Parts: sequence; C-alpha cells; structure tokens
Amino acid sequence: MALFHNYYDSASIVLFGIGLATLMLNKNLIKKIIGMNIMDTSVFLFLVSKGYIAGRNAPIITDRYEGVTAYVNPIPSALILTGIVVAVSVTAFLLALTIKLYETYGTVDLEEILKVKGDDHEVNNQSSLD
Amino acid sequence: MKLITSLPLIEILILFISAFLMPFVRKNKNIKIVSVTALTFSFILSVVIVINVLQNGAFYFNTGYIDTILGIQLYIGPVESLLNSLFLFVIILVACFSFFTIDSEIRENRIKLFYIMVNLLSASILGVIFTNDIFNGYVFIEVAALTSCGIVVVKETQDNIKAALKYLIMSTIGSGLILMGIAFIYSFTGHLNIDLIHQAILEDYTQYQKALLITIALFTSGLGVKSAMFPLHTWLPDAHSTAPTASSALLSAIVLKPFAFFLIKIMYRMIGFDLVNQFNIITIILTLGCCGMLFGSLAAIFQKNIKRLIAYSSIAQMGYIFFGIGLGSPFGAAIAVYHMIGHAVTKSALFMCSGLMIEKTGYKTIDNYKGLGHEMPITFALFTLGAFSMIGIPIFPGFISKWYLSIECIHLNQLLLIFVVLASSLLNAVYYFPIIINGFFGIENLKNKEYHSKKVETQKLLPIAALILAMVLLGAFSKNILDFISPELH
Repeated sequence: MALFHNYYDSASIVLFGIGLATLMLNKNLIKKIIGMNIMDTSVFLFLVSKGYIAGRNAPIITDRYEGVTAYVNPIPSALILTGIVVAVSVTAFLLALTIKLYETYGTVDLEEILKVKGDDHEVNNQSSLD
Repeated sequence: MKLITSLPLIEILILFISAFLMPFVRKNKNIKIVSVTALTFSFILSVVIVINVLQNGAFYFNTGYIDTILGIQLYIGPVESLLNSLFLFVIILVACFSFFTIDSEIRENRIKLFYIMVNLLSASILGVIFTNDIFNGYVFIEVAALTSCGIVVVKETQDNIKAALKYLIMSTIGSGLILMGIAFIYSFTGHLNIDLIHQAILEDYTQYQKALLITIALFTSGLGVKSAMFPLHTWLPDAHSTAPTASSALLSAIVLKPFAFFLIKIMYRMIGFDLVNQFNIITIILTLGCCGMLFGSLAAIFQKNIKRLIAYSSIAQMGYIFFGIGLGSPFGAAIAVYHMIGHAVTKSALFMCSGLMIEKTGYKTIDNYKGLGHEMPITFALFTLGAFSMIGIPIFPGFISKWYLSIECIHLNQLLLIFVVLASSLLNAVYYFPIIINGFFGIENLKNKEYHSKKVETQKLLPIAALILAMVLLGAFSKNILDFISPELH
C-alpha cells in the first residue's frame, strides 16, 4: 500500500495533525507551544525525507568525484536548517510572551486568561475629561 | 543598468542595516531620525524603480548566481514597484506621525525597540513583495510575523500581551501551513523559483492534480490566517485595537496586504489562471471574501470602541480583496491590488485620526464623540473624507474598486455578487455615518460641558492630510493606475 510504502510522508502528516490539534485545542499555553514545535518538526521530517535516498552521500567531494548517482540533493537539508532557525526564534518569542502573561495574570491557562477583563477596557470607563 | 536592477536589494538592505545599527544610537530622538532617514532613502530608490519599470518594463534580479536554479531571484514588475513605493510612502507618514504620539503611549525605554521593529517590518514586507522564490518568501513572512507582534506588544498592557500572544499563535499556524505547502510543491516540482515551478506544473500537472489541490489549499489557508480571511480573522480585532495608534495604522494598512499579494502571486503567477480556475478553491475564496465583507461590517456596527470598529472594518475591506482574487480573472486580481493600495492609504489615515480623538478626549467609546466635529474640526473632516472612501462615495478609491468589481461581476455573468457588494457598502454606511453625523450635528452634547481646548498640533495633522490628499489623487488617477497594473496580471 502506498500509505506504508511512503512511511516518512505518512508519519509526517500524522505528526502535523497531532501538532495542529495540540496547538488549536489545548488550553495550556506551554502545551500549545509544544504543539507548534511538533507541527514544525513534522514539516522538517517531510521535507528532509525528500532529500534522502538510501545509499547516497552528501554532495561533498573528498578524494574523487563518484558521478551524479552517488550524491543526494542538498537543497532540502539547507531549507530545513533555515526552517529550524525560524522555529527556534518563534518558540523563544512565544515563551517570552508566556512569561509576561504569567506575570500579569498568574496563570498559563488560556481559558482563565480570557475570563479576566483586561485593563484596557477599564481605561475606557474610568477616564474622564478632566 | 546593472545598478538599477540591484536597487530592490539595496532598498531592503538599507532598512535591515539601519535597524541593526539602531541599538548603538543612544538618544531616542536620534533613533527617530535614523529610522525615518532609512525609510526616506528606500522611498527615493523605490520611486527610481517605478520610473525604470515605466520606461523599460519588468526586470529580474538574481542574487549571487546567474543561474536561476541556485540563487534567490527577485522579480520587479509594475505591481511590485507600485505597491513597494506606496507602502513605503504610508510607512514614512505613519512614522512621522508616531514621532509626536509614541512617547505618550509606550515606556521610554521601549521607543528604541519600536523603531527597530518598524524598520525590520518594512524590510520584510518589501521582501515578500519582491521575492520570486517561495522559500525566501516564507522567511520574510516569518520576519514580518515576529516584528508585527513586536510592535503590538511594545505597549505592555494586560490586554495587549494577550492580544499579541493570540496573534502570534494564529500566525504560527499560518506559517506552518505555508511551510507544508512549500514542502508539497517542492516534492513534485523540484523547484522553489516561481517561474520554474510554473513551467514544471504546466508540463505534468495531470499526474499531480490532488497534490496540487492540497498545495493550493495549504497556501490559501496559511496566507488567509495572516491576511485575516473571514473565518481566520479572530486575532485581528484584539491585536489592532490594543496596539499603540501608530502600530495599528501600520498593521491594518500595510501588514495585511503583502500576504494577500503573495497569494495572488502563488495563484496566478505560480499556478496560472487557467489551472486555478479548474479547482473549486477559487470559488471558496470568493465565498469567504463575500462572508468577510458582510460579517466584518455587521460586527463593526455593534462595536463601541472606535479602534475595534475600524479593525472590524479592515476585515470587511480584506473581504473585497479576496473577492477580487476569487473572481478568477486577471482584471479581478488587478482590482484587488488597486484596493490594497487604496485601503492602505485610507485605513492608516482613519486609524491616526481615531488615535488623535482618543488622545484629546480621553475616551475610546464612540458615544463620547458627539459634537466633537466642532471641537476638532480638521481631524474630524479628515476622518469624514476617509470614511467616505470606505463607504464608496464617488471619486474616492473605495468607490472605484467597488465600481470595477461590480463591472467585472457583470462581465463574468455573476449578477448576484453585485448585491453582495451593494449590501456591504450600505452596511459600511450604517456604521460610519452615525459617527460623522453625531460628530458634526450632535451639538446638544456640548451643552453644560466645560470647554477644554482640543487643538491638535499641526505636525500631527500634516501626515494625515498628506495621506488623504494621496487618497484623493489615487482616486482621480485610478484609470492610469489600473492601466499600469492590469497588463502585468494578464
């Protein structure tokens, strides 16, 4: 069956689903961030498996050139490197925001946070002309 | 000739380098000067690019390698050059406006960070507009997502952090979907360059119809999250209404558009009009655009907070852009681009006017603006002109895009869609007119009220006036602009 034959692709799509579901459905912010990381990792697996052919080497020529059939396409790996850097920076930003949110609300549960009326609304009612 | 083709890259580099030099500048006043100088230089270069495109036509720029398969390629056609220079024009004026207002809105040690973010954001937006390489586009989209969250969260109130987190989570979902789309298209075409992908798809798309369908769906939903397509817009009202005024103006006017433009690129340059029209997704985009137009306006009617009202109006206006894309014809896409330009100029002016009203009255709710037209006549007059464009009064760009959208609906024999455009325009009037009428004629509210001077400083009004003037000019020269951009999309 094609599904089991392309097991890298199948696995990465399943992982993508798990990550997306965690990101969307979980109320805990830390778990949401973990879900986002799983989602990104699944894309990396999908793309990096496209650049892998069993028995071939990275295109680094040491002693002698062994012909085009001996090497794999290096572009997917290069793309993944960039993707990892992006994912790390987004994760760092999300974690920093979570710390800020925990400082002001005292919880990382999104449901609890959404219940609290923020200070921006209060400014509306309190502020007056003088 | 060599130098002129490398101008787009220089433009992006000026903004990036100036952003990374800013941490070394000590005084906040000098930061502002550095920021606006870099933006102005880029703007001058962008005008040179527009002139060059007018004379010599579209051109490519290859970074590093001459061979297009290896290097990142930039493509600068009429649409790209026009969007680039108009967006920079708006960003400069918003930056000038922020000089006088940002100090009262955010803490002093955050001002430096704000301007670093503004320059990085402008650079990444230019990157998204110019790039002809989808992975490069993804990287620029990520930079834009992080920096736009940065200019929201810079205010650091409770609501503000919550909104920024919501925004960032939604936009990470979007980026994940876009990256998956790129992985899909790379796996069956073997290219990242938009033109090369187009050729590869034309050669053997029949073998990969389902994969192509999934790819388009992934790109549409991913970019839809970022440009607030109807059911994916939930982050927008919070993020845009809690941010500082200058940030809201930038976010609503500029940051939503490049992603929609990137979708146009993917749909029509990478996949092609003929092929896209075979899939149902184009109909889905059209339907979602209609829903956005109606829902955004309906939700705006019930808003009390003026910034939230304008944010919901943005969702409706993005609906028009998706409507234009979803028509599936070259002229529809051209109108979508024209609407991006018109909306960028108008919405930034509206947000800055509302910022001034909030600053001078101390209220955010619309009920308190009765009779304000007498106290702040110029601000309110400018607001009224902007609102006229949103509603679609003739001469203004809002009217022109609605007019041409309706004509294009007639051409495509989809007469029902005209009623959607009409209904949406009427709904726009329902929420903008009460503000204007109460502002100018709600005089009874002024009785028994102590008069406080609400005189607005001229330097704060000048950027808004310039934007409104640009808006009127865009409306007046709409024919020339549409002639300039539409052959590109054919």
